[in-house]
Amino acid sequence: MIGNRKRLSSGLSVTSKVFVRSRNGGAQKIVREHYLRDDIPCYSKACKVCHDIIKTDAAGELPRFILSENPSKTKSGLRHYIVVDTNIILHAIDLLENVSCFYDVIVPQTVLEEVKNRSFPIYQRLRGLVKSEDKRFIVFHNEYAEATYITRNKNESINDRNDRAIRKVASWFGTHMKTNHSENDIGIIFICNDADNRQKARAEKIDARSLVEYFDDLPNGEDLRDLIPSDINSGVDFHNENEASFPEYYSNSRIMAGVKNGTLYQGMLNISSYNFLQGTVQVPAFRKPLLIVGSQNLNRAFNSDSVIVELLPKDKWREPSTTIVEESNIGSNDNANDEDEEDVGSAGSGVVSDKERILLAQEALKATSSSAGVQKRLQPTARVVGIMRRSWRYYVGQIAPSSVSSDDTGNASKSCFVILMDKVLPKIRIRTRKAKEFLGQRIVVVVDSWPADSRYPNGHFVRTLGEIESAEAETEALLLEHDVEYRPFSKNVLDCLPEEGDNWVVPDLVNTDDPKLKKRVDLRDKLVCSIDPPNCVDIDDALHAKPLPNGNYEVGVHIADVTHFVKPNTALDQEGASRGTSVYLVDKRIDMLPMLLGTNLCSLKPYVDRFAFSVIWELDDNANIVKVEYMKSVIKSREAFSYERAQTRIDDKSQTDELTESMRILLKLSKKLKQQRLDAGALNLASPEVKVHMDSETSDPNEVEIKKLLETNSLVEEFMLLANISVARKIYDSYPQTAMLRRHAPPPATNFEQLNDMLSVRKPGLSISLESSRALADSLDRCEDPQDPYFNTLLRIMSTRCMMAAEYFSSGSYGYPEFRHYGLAVDIYTHFTSPIRRYCDVVAHRQLAGAIGYENLDLSHRDKNKMETIVKNINRRHRSAQFAGRASIEYYVGQVMKNNEAEHEGYVIKCFNNGIVVLVPKFGIEGLIKLEMLGDVNTAIYDEDKYELKFTDLQGKERRVAVFDKVNVDVKSVKDEVSGNRKAQLLLR
Amino acid sequence: MELYSPEGLRIDGRRWNEIRNFECRINTHPNSSDGSSYIEQGNTKVICVVQGPMEPALRSQANSNEATLEVNLSVANFSTTERKKRSKSEKRMVQLKTTLERTFQQSVMCNLYPRTLIRIDLHVLSQDGGMLAACTNAMTLALIDAGVSMYDYVAAMTAGLHDQTPLLDMNGLEENDMSTLTIGVIGKSEKLSLLMLEDKIPLDRLESVLAIAIAGSHKIRDLMDSEVRRHGNIRSSKLAS
Ligand SMILES: [Zn+2]
Repeated sequence: MIGNRKRLSSGLSVTSKVFVRSRNGGAQKIVREHYLRDDIPCYSKACKVCHDIIKTDAAGELPRFILSENPSKTKSGLRHYIVVDTNIILHAIDLLENVSCFYDVIVPQTVLEEVKNRSFPIYQRLRGLVKSEDKRFIVFHNEYAEATYITRNKNESINDRNDRAIRKVASWFGTHMKTNHSENDIGIIFICNDADNRQKARAEKIDARSLVEYFDDLPNGEDLRDLIPSDINSGVDFHNENEASFPEYYSNSRIMAGVKNGTLYQGMLNISSYNFLQGTVQVPAFRKPLLIVGSQNLNRAFNSDSVIVELLPKDKWREPSTTIVEESNIGSNDNANDEDEEDVGSAGSGVVSDKERILLAQEALKATSSSAGVQKRLQPTARVVGIMRRSWRYYVGQIAPSSVSSDDTGNASKSCFVILMDKVLPKIRIRTRKAKEFLGQRIVVVVDSWPADSRYPNGHFVRTLGEIESAEAETEALLLEHDVEYRPFSKNVLDCLPEEGDNWVVPDLVNTDDPKLKKRVDLRDKLVCSIDPPNCVDIDDALHAKPLPNGNYEVGVHIADVTHFVKPNTALDQEGASRGTSVYLVDKRIDMLPMLLGTNLCSLKPYVDRFAFSVIWELDDNANIVKVEYMKSVIKSREAFSYERAQTRIDDKSQTDELTESMRILLKLSKKLKQQRLDAGALNLASPEVKVHMDSETSDPNEVEIKKLLETNSLVEEFMLLANISVARKIYDSYPQTAMLRRHAPPPATNFEQLNDMLSVRKPGLSISLESSRALADSLDRCEDPQDPYFNTLLRIMSTRCMMAAEYFSSGSYGYPEFRHYGLAVDIYTHFTSPIRRYCDVVAHRQLAGAIGYENLDLSHRDKNKMETIVKNINRRHRSAQFAGRASIEYYVGQVMKNNEAEHEGYVIKCFNNGIVVLVPKFGIEGLIKLEMLGDVNTAIYDEDKYELKFTDLQGKERRVAVFDKVNVDVKSVKDEVSGNRKAQLLLR
Repeated sequence: MELYSPEGLRIDGRRWNEIRNFECRINTHPNSSDGSSYIEQGNTKVICVVQGPMEPALRSQANSNEATLEVNLSVANFSTTERKKRSKSEKRMVQLKTTLERTFQQSVMCNLYPRTLIRIDLHVLSQDGGMLAACTNAMTLALIDAGVSMYDYVAAMTAGLHDQTPLLDMNGLEENDMSTLTIGVIGKSEKLSLLMLEDKIPLDRLESVLAIAIAGSHKIRDLMDSEVRRHGNIRSSKLAS
């Protein structure tokens, strides 16, 4: 209901919006003012009148006109702008983002608000489209414009009123363009998939079309038609006649009530990487995760969906499966063999009342908290009854050849299955006319829905990446799979870079009026040098040292002054914040910041002046800090060393110049720092890191080596740690609530339960102590196998996997004792030293600049909530960057192995009743050997208590294999024809 | 809905520097008081009635040097969406009352009325942000109506900060989400007789927020002034006839 309009002296009109909200059963009347205005422009460059009505914002800037004066034409020759309906955005946001269609789009405010209410992530993507200006999207605030605002009629539903408001936008633009345009005729096409609405629109003389009708009238329409999502592509029916059905999800109110009274739990589903039909959900109520077994209980949930679960009756509680099941092993058109089909019928019937459920929860609490006894591995099981948030994203996969019929010749679209690269996910059914063409290619798909009566989720094709195993396709695939933003930087991001580009130089420090420039300290006389991996182009740190007359040393760490160029709240800053980190792949680097900054203006290149943020200590002979100072500075690096060259120079006794001497000082002090850390209990863990060598001419990978560390690696590392710690203290001191820090929690004892149990069974006398990081470090040192020097490293690798992940946080979210970085054994820590490639460091730089009074700290880094958002994102980005990097190495190792089949040493790290997992240190890979590859399946016995598998091998010999055993394996690389993934295949010798 | 859209529009359709619909009436309750006024700033609505200067009921209230101001603030239960009983001893209410008393103690020429009491009763009928500002404006008008000597108008306005953008005259929704600054400006000067900041605004942004709040207050002063003159003209024409 809407009140009357009233014109104000300021030119605005005011009306009131009155609506009734029901709350707790009662009704509430809400009255809000609503102002209508006549200064909202059409944003079209072709318009001749709107330039006269616009007003500036608080920064004095005028709105930019975005819509092209010469928009693209349809087949029938109509130049047009597009007005979109809400449902088009909700269901086809991928198409809106597609570069081959949808330019010059008008998004009515009514639509924007409906989208925001329905799906916040899609709203954000839509806002991103508007912001980037690349595709010329605009938001037209029709609800605030006097000309387009409409009041709700009597007995009209809100939806009908909004539809009418959207049509009003289309018709207003139509007339507006006709009366005020320049020479070109520009039409308005209203795209809407609701036939009823289209009919009304046509009655109002609006050119309304469905998505299909619109595409049919585009020159490239043929290619676009396949991209239309399945759920709005009317007329498509996926339902097969005899498909299994899943239990319906609980209603929202039932879920809310259940969560409130403690009978339902919310958590994130984590599908086992060895068995796609088994997942776990960690909920705060229990110490151990709840187990979810079988597709009926998983009930259409995807890995990392946020789900609502309900406990199953106690007789269904069980041990985690010790069997390996992979989707790709199961024929792609027949039914997956559920391990637990017997659960299907009884799934919901066992537990009836809430009272019983509460009793059950108490039992579950008991079972999860006791760690000893006969039932030690018995875990409460649960089933999914609702999904709070889907983790659906773009998925990469390939069409299952067996799902494409060979006699298919027609041009009609057929449904087929797409096997995803991520093997913990189910296959997806799509419809396409080009299934045959896409065979053998990596394709991108999106999931649209998973109805209860469909065995598989429905999705649609987005685009193809190229041939399987071509380097480009695989690289792009893994970037997509790990959600890494790899598109080139948009224009408005690049616009934030200095105009001078590569010719930018450090300005004159003396003759300047810039107060900030005057605050910079000139350190160009210091003998600064940088030490990095060979061919490093983004140098973010450099060092110097010199002896002081009092016998102490002056040591400086100089970090690239990225925040001089990346100012808060610019498009550049926002892009950096959303990327969060650079991603390093074997053959490619995805930058967090544009090249110009990373590899030139910020990079502390030798022989040129560069801005830096410096930390300068006075250290005594034992590397204790006497004094520390922080300053923005100007430096001139004397040399950029590689680790190896620095090492040779230090070792070369004939070199006695000042620079070499200062590096020797650094080396000496770094060794003392390292010893101090180790004494405090810093951990020396291991991961099987390898490096891939590329042939310099063909850029084919040809060799794999384990990364080796030089003293100079550790030299740089120690001083970076010291700088990070010093900066962390300083910014925490200045911003106790919002300092950007990094913590590493101690591992909970349960994480090490299995590893310690394995040790006590297989290596009596050895164990890992968890009392403190010092105790852990010492106990790891003691875990030696005199016969096998590698055993200790193996154990370190396995321990690393039991550790918690370090995380970024803002200091307000934890108490000081919890700041502790367990692995480094320091009380407080942050990341400060790599601002070119990590966003945490950018924030730390700004906070440090604020702390030393160089410039005011931006509000967003002083606000707890905003810091929370930043922290959450960079933690996520950091993780996916790591995974992407590892996946890239894995892929290239596979390529190397393809040509180098050989026998290698391996270690058994896991045992299942139908296979073993072996780690091959030489390649840093691990692989599964299934029982049928080992020997006779029928005679095999798995002794769970001893982690030992007994079987008759293919030669008829009896063999036992247990965890920690050293075995010889044949390593070769095979391509899985179903999923297209190349995997290391191991065979036991 | 977006509190402040990238296109520069606020949740109720205003731009960053626009005030809400402002209505004021003076001498609304001529028979029951010495001075009275009614203010609407958007959906915030306040009635103010002034009694005095008069003899204080208690001798102890009398100050031999100047007049004593007593503000009574009552907020109607139906003034917000959710009906809620508010007690006068609520901390926030006491704070507002003292703030108002202190502000006007300096703006009214209290030394002209020694040993008297001026009682101001404020009734908030509806709240939609900027309650303190509306109360201040209502008091100014009612005191003028009562013929109490003042140095100049005290015109009040709120402003807040959304990211980088200062926003003028916050409504209830905006006030819930942003830190809000309320100021009272003396006449057309840049002198403040009232400044209240809820939550915080970074120091380097404060200036821009203050600047638009002062500009807004000046606008309010002019609107109040024209109402006073309108009323004055009516009165003088009545006198003449
Ligand atoms: Zn126009």
